[in-house]
Amino acid sequence: MTTLSDLEAQAVRNRPAFGEHAHILCDNLVRIYKTEGVEVVALQGLDLLIEKGELIAIVGASGSGKSTLLNVLSGLDVPTAGLARVAGMDLLSMTSRDRLRYRRSVVGFIWQQTGRNLLPYLTGLENVLLPMRLAGNKRDARRRADTLLELLGVADCAGRRPGELSGGQQQRIAIAVALANEPEVILADEPTGELDSDTSEEVFGALRSANRELGVTAVIVTHDPLVSEQVDRTVGIRDGRTSSETLRRTSVDGDVIAEEYAVLDRVGRLQLPRDFMNALDMERRVRLELERDHIGVWPSTPGEENND
Amino acid sequence: MNAWQLVRVHRGAAAVLALLVLTASLLVAGLPRGFEAAYDDALNVLTGDAVAPQVDVAVRLRPNIEEDEFHDRRAFTDLDQTLRKALPPTLARAVVPGGTSHQSAITWGTPVSGILGRDTPPQRFVDLAWVSNLDEKIRYVEGREPGPPRRLAAVPGNPELKDLPLFEIGLVEEAADIMKMPIGTTVLLGNSYTIAAQVVGLFEAADQSDRFWEHNAELKRVTVRPLPQADEPDLMAVGVIPDEGLRELNARRELYYSWVFGVDGSKINARNAPAMIQAIDDYRQIVEHQAGDHATGIAQIPAAMFELTTGLDQLLDRFLAQLRTAQTLMFLILGGLVVVALGVIALSIQLMAERMRAGLGLARARGGSIGQIARTGTGTVAMIVLPAALLGYAASYLVPGPITPIVHVSPAVIAVATILFAAARLAFAHRKPLLDSRDDLVVPKSSPRRIALELLVIVLALAGAYALRSRGLTTDVAELGSDPFLLLVPAALTLAAALITLRCYPYPLRLIVRLAGRRRGAVPFLGLTLAARSRGATSLPVLILLPALAVSVFGALVSGGIAETQRTAAWQTVGAQARIEREAEIPADVIEKVRALPGVTSVLPVAKGTAQVKTGGQTSTVLAMDLAAYRELVAGSPLVVPDPPVGDGIPALVSKSFAPYPSFEIGWHTRMKLTNVGYIEKLPGLAFETGNLIVMPYEGPKLAGLRDYTNILLVGGDVDQALLKRTVGLADATVETVDAARERIASAPLAQTIIASFTIVTVALAAYALAAVIIALVIGAADRARALSFLRTLGLSQGQARLLTVLEVAPLIVLASLAGLALGLALPAALGPGLDLSAYAGIAVTEFPLTLTTPILLAAGLTAVSILGAFGHATTGRRVATALRVGESA
Repeated sequence: MTTLSDLEAQAVRNRPAFGEHAHILCDNLVRIYKTEGVEVVALQGLDLLIEKGELIAIVGASGSGKSTLLNVLSGLDVPTAGLARVAGMDLLSMTSRDRLRYRRSVVGFIWQQTGRNLLPYLTGLENVLLPMRLAGNKRDARRRADTLLELLGVADCAGRRPGELSGGQQQRIAIAVALANEPEVILADEPTGELDSDTSEEVFGALRSANRELGVTAVIVTHDPLVSEQVDRTVGIRDGRTSSETLRRTSVDGDVIAEEYAVLDRVGRLQLPRDFMNALDMERRVRLELERDHIGVWPSTPGEENND
Repeated sequence: MNAWQLVRVHRGAAAVLALLVLTASLLVAGLPRGFEAAYDDALNVLTGDAVAPQVDVAVRLRPNIEEDEFHDRRAFTDLDQTLRKALPPTLARAVVPGGTSHQSAITWGTPVSGILGRDTPPQRFVDLAWVSNLDEKIRYVEGREPGPPRRLAAVPGNPELKDLPLFEIGLVEEAADIMKMPIGTTVLLGNSYTIAAQVVGLFEAADQSDRFWEHNAELKRVTVRPLPQADEPDLMAVGVIPDEGLRELNARRELYYSWVFGVDGSKINARNAPAMIQAIDDYRQIVEHQAGDHATGIAQIPAAMFELTTGLDQLLDRFLAQLRTAQTLMFLILGGLVVVALGVIALSIQLMAERMRAGLGLARARGGSIGQIARTGTGTVAMIVLPAALLGYAASYLVPGPITPIVHVSPAVIAVATILFAAARLAFAHRKPLLDSRDDLVVPKSSPRRIALELLVIVLALAGAYALRSRGLTTDVAELGSDPFLLLVPAALTLAAALITLRCYPYPLRLIVRLAGRRRGAVPFLGLTLAARSRGATSLPVLILLPALAVSVFGALVSGGIAETQRTAAWQTVGAQARIEREAEIPADVIEKVRALPGVTSVLPVAKGTAQVKTGGQTSTVLAMDLAAYRELVAGSPLVVPDPPVGDGIPALVSKSFAPYPSFEIGWHTRMKLTNVGYIEKLPGLAFETGNLIVMPYEGPKLAGLRDYTNILLVGGDVDQALLKRTVGLADATVETVDAARERIASAPLAQTIIASFTIVTVALAAYALAAVIIALVIGAADRARALSFLRTLGLSQGQARLLTVLEVAPLIVLASLAGLALGLALPAALGPGLDLSAYAGIAVTEFPLTLTTPILLAAGLTAVSILGAFGHATTGRRVATALRVGESA
């Protein structure tokens, strides 16, 4: 006799698991900050898939949960529930020792404040060497640091302290620091937030070259259109959930075509853009109709409202 | 990133930490040295004041049979060597070769049974003495040194006495007059086994002040012993004999031999005193328990009953009892200081940790393990703390005083505690790698576990205080030793008070905030709101300020209590502002001269003597004085004078033993009959408290048919002791003043030390409290700068910003000070019955006068200094632009 669990197992076996091959996987990720009597739900069931070697931007309003997501991905914060996997490592079930190894060798990150990325009393080179020393990678450390500084175009800043460098130089050294231990993923939280557009361009260029030349998966949280419009994929986050994705491709005549999609989760939930809802005065419920090649969404009519 | 780099980068915070550790090490290593030096001084004073026979160790032997006798100097010297060799090492180190050491053979109670060639007066005694080093101690002023004994073939008039030993003796000069024994006198000594002695020389002491004479006082004077039932007193002298005289000196006389070992008081100190007592006890066992045990007995004389006499062990026992009291009090003071010092050091570790937070946090986020972070941070702290502690320890060697283990241990304890705290603090702070915790969330409520713990501390402290009051902290320590639980009570009480303050301070603050909210100015409201929201580092200063003030106020009150009691003790010793006392009568012209002295307001003549009371055959101190005038004379002093006796005949106040008799006769210059009209317990300064006492009016002797008689003058008014002494001009008169007596009590090493250490500790605590407030402000500086920069963009002026800062810290400081003041005022009441301070004041300190001036000044001063510190910190504020930048990036 076939039991329910047999059936369930069979169903799972036949289909590949959600995001099985993704480099970064977030499935129904929840993060709740809890202190006595007050709960702040920063992530409320967020889904996200990122392929290896991808360069994506995450955008969203302030308080939407971007930074929390990044902290979770960087191993600095532990999610409350859900699934988060980066480079095959489950971020929820890691021991503190695993977490340390993860931070040392799997991810690197860059914060928005230039001053926070670097220790002010160390030179650029010493800052780059620091993560390698912390991880005990002493062999070739110097050579790798030089290579990285060279790659990011700040080789001349090696001997200078952060106070003697421009914001852009500081952020590029910060990228070198993040890349020091050859991570598979780099995470950047508003890396160009404090910079003017020219410098932003330089820093983003540095990130992109790291992504392309070192094959590192890069996730950039940003408000900066300069950045978000130059990546292949932009993920929008709203109220702790991924709400939209913008995909860019280059057309045959060389134009960049951006198409915005709403994100549909595995159980079929979908966030309608707020503008759309406002325009059609959609509230509380909508009427759906399945057509041959699409689903129609209509605001509920007043008569239907009354039947409520 | 290495530790040295962090020290260099955070050199400001590092310097603060180093300074605090240095001063703490210096204080905890230096103060005990000072204390130990004071204990030793006190012991030296004690041994210096004691007479030589009390301090020295003497072995005595009363020979009973021929075998016990010593007939030449050699025998004495040999046994001296043997006895010295047997001294336990501790005692041997204190025994000095010269000094008061000597051997002697002295007879006692040898009556003069006849004087050749004249009548023999009764009640004359001449003893014979041989003393090993007498030649150095005396000088012959007449005649010659005595020679070897001879034989006296016959005594004229005493045919039964034949072939007697005839000693040549030297007598003290005054014996020739008092006992009428000039050179050439030959006396017969003893009623049985009579011997003869001929005076051949008269001597005087070469050095009257030589402590040798304290052992052999009877050698240098004629002892006059009045007898109750006889008209003539007994007169006793000692004749000295040369070495050869020992041949004829035997156990047929009442004779004793002494081997005196002079003890150097300076070789005994507070630390070896217990060992010294043990050594004396051991030596007593060795010396006294050798009879019948010739195999092991050191003297090898069977049946000789040796005896060890010394008062040193009792003296040291008494001293140790006092010392334990002193040590307990020092422990309390030092304990308070250590608690506060560690608190401030913890605060500066907090500052250091806060300063290193960004760097270490980044390293942690970039893959530093908790071990790496804690190691680096702790290494940094160790690099600051160890040299500072070492320097403080080295500096403590500048403080004079002996070195005890605590001198080495306490700086090490401070250093280790600091480093461990830093390690724990850093490991805790960086246990999670997230750089920032979310501080926009509400503060979690205290866990029930923490509340239960705090309640436990409070209950334990109160129970401890109760136990302390009922059992005493310093009483019985001599027998039982200190009770560690009770020693911790003051600290626990302070902690309990601090916990209560921390728990309760939001309530009064809320009220003030509400009041401030109604006023128009925004600054008070904002400042107080910030104060109400402040947490974490800001609560530590409460834990520091409160004990600091409590200990200071407690110290001030105890010092006050001691000073007040010293005054009482001085009055009780003197009996008036000045007292002139003499055995013989004080001439009338002297009285007039004293009366005429500038500053003297009144002079009260008193007659004092010892009377034979016919009832029950007792003796009593008798005072004839005008009690009403005396009461006026000592008005305003702690002395209490009873009403003067009024009644028929010669009215008198009497002490307990005469209370049952309505009237009785006494013999004082003449026979007088007294009428008992009242009870008197004591008159401090004029009569011993324990003896019998009779007080009659000054005219008493006159009423009995004699004339007025004065041998004591009680002087009122401000007068100098030296001047009074000069004016009186009588060598045998004692002149005492209250000021001199108080000076003498107050200058005792222990009393001086306790007062000095209270002062040092108070100053140190005030400095620590100030440091605590400033450090707490510096720790919160980034947060404050952020808040202020925001407010300044809204139009807050620099002055208002300062006021805001002051208002932010002031409530906590003021409340902590009030709580500290209250606790400090309550501590003497709580601990007073348990603290025996008599060692410092001469008599028991029973009252701690609640003089509020000093404590309130202390509290106000400390509060003001702390708030000024806050103001100073706020004044060095940044300009708007800087403030804004800080606000953005912090």
